[in-house]
Amino acid sequence: MPSAVHLDGITKRFPGVVANDDVDLEVERGTVHALLGENGAGKTTLMNVLYGLYEPTSGEVRLDGKTHAFGSPRDAIDAGIGMIHQHFMLVDPMTVTENITLGNEPRKWGGLAVDRAGSREAVVELADRYGFDVDPDARIEDVSVGEQQRVEILKALYRGADTLILDEPTAVLTPQEVGELFDVLDELTAQGKTIIFITHKLGEAMRAADEISVLRDGRKVGSVDADATTQAELAELMVGREVLLDVDHGTAETGGVVASVSDVAVDDDRGVRAVDGVSFEVRGGEVFGIAGVDGNGQSELVEAVTGLRTPDAGEIRFRGEDVTTASRRDRIDAGMAYVPEDRQDRGLVMEFDLVENGLLGSQHGTELAANGRIDWSKTRGHAQAIIDEYDVRPPDADTDAESLSGGNQQKFIVGREFERDPELVVASHPTRGVDVGSIEFIHERLLELRQQGVAILLVSSKLEEVQGLSDRLAVVYEGEFIDVVDPDETTEEELGLLMAGERPGDDGGGGGEPEPTGNADGTERGGLADRTDAAGGERA
Amino acid sequence: MSDAPADRADADTAPGDDDAGFLEGYTTRALVGGVTVAAVVALLLAGLLFPDSLAGTLADALTSRNTLAAALRLSVPIAFAALGGIFAEKSGVINIGLEGLLIISAFSAIYVADVTGGVWIGFAGGVAASTLLAALFAVVTIGFRADQIIAGLAVWLIALGLAPFASQVIYGSPNTPTVATSPSINVPVLADLPFFGALFSASPSVYLLFAAVFGSWYVFERTAFGRWIRASGENPKALDTAGVSVTRVRYAAVLISGVLAGMGGAALSLDLGQFTGNGPTMVNGKGFIAIVAYLFGNYNPVGAFLSTMLFAGLDAVQTVLQLQGIGIPRQLIRITPFVVVIIVLALVGRTRLPEAAGEHYETEE
Repeated sequence: MPSAVHLDGITKRFPGVVANDDVDLEVERGTVHALLGENGAGKTTLMNVLYGLYEPTSGEVRLDGKTHAFGSPRDAIDAGIGMIHQHFMLVDPMTVTENITLGNEPRKWGGLAVDRAGSREAVVELADRYGFDVDPDARIEDVSVGEQQRVEILKALYRGADTLILDEPTAVLTPQEVGELFDVLDELTAQGKTIIFITHKLGEAMRAADEISVLRDGRKVGSVDADATTQAELAELMVGREVLLDVDHGTAETGGVVASVSDVAVDDDRGVRAVDGVSFEVRGGEVFGIAGVDGNGQSELVEAVTGLRTPDAGEIRFRGEDVTTASRRDRIDAGMAYVPEDRQDRGLVMEFDLVENGLLGSQHGTELAANGRIDWSKTRGHAQAIIDEYDVRPPDADTDAESLSGGNQQKFIVGREFERDPELVVASHPTRGVDVGSIEFIHERLLELRQQGVAILLVSSKLEEVQGLSDRLAVVYEGEFIDVVDPDETTEEELGLLMAGERPGDDGGGGGEPEPTGNADGTERGGLADRTDAAGGERA
Repeated sequence: MSDAPADRADADTAPGDDDAGFLEGYTTRALVGGVTVAAVVALLLAGLLFPDSLAGTLADALTSRNTLAAALRLSVPIAFAALGGIFAEKSGVINIGLEGLLIISAFSAIYVADVTGGVWIGFAGGVAASTLLAALFAVVTIGFRADQIIAGLAVWLIALGLAPFASQVIYGSPNTPTVATSPSINVPVLADLPFFGALFSASPSVYLLFAAVFGSWYVFERTAFGRWIRASGENPKALDTAGVSVTRVRYAAVLISGVLAGMGGAALSLDLGQFTGNGPTMVNGKGFIAIVAYLFGNYNPVGAFLSTMLFAGLDAVQTVLQLQGIGIPRQLIRITPFVVVIIVLALVGRTRLPEAAGEHYETEE
């Protein structure tokens, strides 16, 4: 029996680039196939060929042994291909039912009206058949991201999809929703659907897929059985060399307190308390990590520290000064660098080229913009230096930020912030959505800075990242620090329990709130100014 | 992929925000409506008790059948243009050229009626002229991706210059001669009702407007095409991936806005039998009030019609009072809609614009 999907020798050339080079891919009916690769390896291009967005330069698409030439996604949809885009293609103010049937509405009265009862019935029936939990009458803007994704899948199924392509489906999901998604995939394959999902996360590929194909630089470098491979093998296939997934972070000389946060409380946009009485200190030459499931107040805490959000209570000190209400500009000038969690929204101006983006944050400085006049040749040199140093590709300072891949955008931001000569780096999810090679590079740079005596506040939802890099690790849950631990002495299981909100020594009872920083810091704030000076002197 | 966290944050906070927004918007509108009704009731009571006072005169003006008739007549061009604006903007194309469409159709209707001698042929001519200008606007903004605001202003300025100029060339004056008007349609019995009788003894354009309001509501709420228009203005990519051409939907929506605005402009001049082209022409800002009306009506055809009636009603009362010698400066009344829209948009800020309004859309192929 022929494969459900057979991509035969697909080559796709863009002007100056070979995005796919003679790629063969075979996927059996009723299986989950993971397409694994770094950012820019050609995964999405390959799937866009299958989805009819691109016509291949050479090669053939065969579905169940039959050759197809898709001129548009419409052709692919008609041939039973469904694509679940990473950014959902949903209309927020419309209901689940309206979204699923959009473009293929059941009609009545000779097409003069939408058969609303019939639409709803069709959606309910479809959801029941695959055991999906969706509310057909809810508006998209009112449902969770996980449910939106199920709506996207139902949309494809409603259009008769036999093969579903999911582009980085887990990037926007909580760990729990990821589990639910994988259950959904199981149910779909059990009913004979074929699934291809694009990912750069090794663990997920192994967990969800039956077979894994690895792409590198546009070529397929191997297809392996998910049960018979290891993460290390996959990582090596992806980057072409052994990757150290475990960072050996060694130790650095710890200096004085650079930043301290005491009893800070922050509200989120809805006015709900997101951070509730958090205290900690970060010293020069140390990485202070904050671990936790996303949405437990990390973003708000980071925004309070960096000056993007005013705390409702508590005090934030930086290099001995009270900066609780200081502006972003004052904090940058005082030596606070910030790698934001959302690079496209806060890290870069997407329509600007790298020269202009490299200037961001330094536009008031004397080096690149003395007397309010930008020195463009210096600014260009500055951007070029970041590009060279941080291996940003393509190495062209005139490239617009939006045309870089996510990993390269991130490397550029990291470079810009690290080159500020900072006293404190606040790094929020610095490797989110970044490929393995770039992750390793960013980690190395972070540890180099620490070695130079810079204080680093690291927030990440990747456990191995915060655990591997941090000298001290706080676990946040519902806006409070559950505990501050030594990451080397703590197992992943223990951290997992803490992240789920289980306080250490809960059985003791009556002990009240744990004193988060008490066990980790002995220094009083008195010696702070001296120590900061010392740290500053060291760097000079 | 990299803004995934932001997406999530948005999705998490959006429901709360929007619930609040919806409620807030709803209560404000309810408040405006409630205050209006309460004021009117209080005025009527006061008028009843003291027939000789100012309140009495106002009450007379309000309950006069003539006031309702005048308000309806004033509403016709504004409400038609507002319906057109809803179609365009819901599809993602902001059409601020409605004023221009009203002007060009007002003139063309008279010209065609004058040449052919048929009121309804003139009406068709006005609609055709407006649709043509809207088509030009559509080609420029959708086909060539020009800025919608600038292109809309151009439509207004072109019409503002062209219509009086054409009149000057053809008739030797910016004002056209008068043509025959079509008589009012009287619904037997109902037309004799006090006050509400005005609804049943009106020019054909008023009935046409009722039909258009209902038709627009029906298209948006009940038809697949209406959904496509909404999707095209909210998330064009979603519509595109669902296999519906965003470009076609937007062209259709802008052309419909041309047809509707054309009906408004033609009705305006044909009801009077003349086009006057001095200064801001006889249209005199009605196209801009239409924009205010549909924003205030939150893109709902019925809401837009009711807002129009509110604005037109104020103007009508003012005219009635003027005739009775109690002068409220006309200028003050005329700015009311704009003051209202500033309050609604700025202070309350909860009219929800379509997400992709004003943005160009390009398929990835």
